[in-house]
Amino acid sequence: MSVEGQAPAPAAPVPPPAGAAAAIAGRLVARGKDLLGRRRVRIASGSALLLLLVLAGTGWDYRAAPAPGADLSVSPPARPATREGARLVAERQRLETALRRKVPRGTWIVIDQTHNRLRLMRGDDTLLEAPCSAGSGMVLKEGTGGRVWVFDTPRGRFEVLSKLQNPVWRKPDWAFVEEGEPIPKDPGDRLEYGSLGEYALYFGDGYLIHGTLYERLLGRPVSHGCVRLGREPLREVYRQAPLGTPVYIY
Amino acid sequence: MRLLCLALTAALLAPMAVGGATPAAPAKADDPETARLRRQVERLRAERDLASGKGFYLRLDASRHRLALMLQGVALDDYAASALEWGVPEVVFVNRDPGAGWDAAAFSKGRLEPERDRDRIEVVAPPPAASTAPGAETPEPSPPPVPKSAEESYSVPSPYRIAFAEGVSLEVRAKGEGRRNRSLFRRFVDALGLRLSDLGAAVGARERVRLRVTLEAEDAASLYRSLPPDVGLVVVGLPGS
Repeated sequence: MSVEGQAPAPAAPVPPPAGAAAAIAGRLVARGKDLLGRRRVRIASGSALLLLLVLAGTGWDYRAAPAPGADLSVSPPARPATREGARLVAERQRLETALRRKVPRGTWIVIDQTHNRLRLMRGDDTLLEAPCSAGSGMVLKEGTGGRVWVFDTPRGRFEVLSKLQNPVWRKPDWAFVEEGEPIPKDPGDRLEYGSLGEYALYFGDGYLIHGTLYERLLGRPVSHGCVRLGREPLREVYRQAPLGTPVYIY
Repeated sequence: MRLLCLALTAALLAPMAVGGATPAAPAKADDPETARLRRQVERLRAERDLASGKGFYLRLDASRHRLALMLQGVALDDYAASALEWGVPEVVFVNRDPGAGWDAAAFSKGRLEPERDRDRIEVVAPPPAASTAPGAETPEPSPPPVPKSAEESYSVPSPYRIAFAEGVSLEVRAKGEGRRNRSLFRRFVDALGLRLSDLGAAVGARERVRLRVTLEAEDAASLYRSLPPDVGLVVVGLPGS
């Protein structure tokens, strides 16, 4: 008796003919290849997505500093609550005062040897700014003696150690070597008048701020290490900068 | 492809794991106000030490957006920054914490990247004239070549970085510069190169914090050309410090 809706019993499998079997096998192989291919595509796209995610989430996470004048609301309370806090506030004040005292109160000189500019300062005010000529950076090699000179202006903090009117240049050896002249034995033969201008301010190690005969080259690095200045700015610097004036060269 | 992706992921995750495993722990359990005061004092001590030395240093004032070149407590040059940011490496969306109070210390041995090479002129002096015969003319030595000015000597990249020994770097960007005179392709190559470099720096362990300032093009160039070697850095006024 058959019940309505019940599935009929499966028929016993009939072995396919040889040709049909080959066709089915071929289809299965093709489908397998297709499946494998799709799987590869899925893996590749998944990996690429992962890589993209990793790359998108890797780099630098920047935060913007608040604009100047923004209220940060971080001012400390007037009176620290703890003894340690009070000690730290006192220490902070002491350090801030020490740092403020580093800034010269009187006249000081700044020389930017890269851009060949000299500034005469008093406190925070700029009294004068003028083109100058700092060291050329040139290397001079002595043909016979093997000596080498590098014409750099030194960097750092110096002080005006002496001031000269109508300075006389006592030419060092390199000045003769550079000109192809024999080095004189008589010290008097080393003296040259007028080439350093009207004034010179000596700041140590043989370096001066002085005038020049070649004002057209001011603003270019052409000196042998000294700082050359035009006639008028030199007068002003000489007038305003007393002995001990700090000279900052960078 | 799959192996390559896995290898890349592993390479990116490994430093994060190392960085994440060693967070800087506060030395003492202070209340927040005392901790902040302590960091300020530490930072001021670091600045005083820099100002007492003979070396040049940069002072980045984040609250005023100013970057100054300093020597012994004196500002030799001062630049206004139109934008200022600070960043930490991020690996797969996870930030590497530089540790509280990282900005309380001073940083040293700052070096320009890319480097600024000085092209020096070398002159070999002529042999000295032994003696001059009477009436004979001495040949005039040829005048030495006039050295180039700083503007002629150094082209300035934008951006450039000043990398400090302690794993902090300062990236200087020129406002508007680097776009006007560059083709679209060149800009694309630059941007790609920058992205790859950022990626490498984020994954590597060398850089902990990067500060990024945008200066006027002229100021950025001036700083690049005149920055003394082995410059220091002190950072003040960052929020939370």
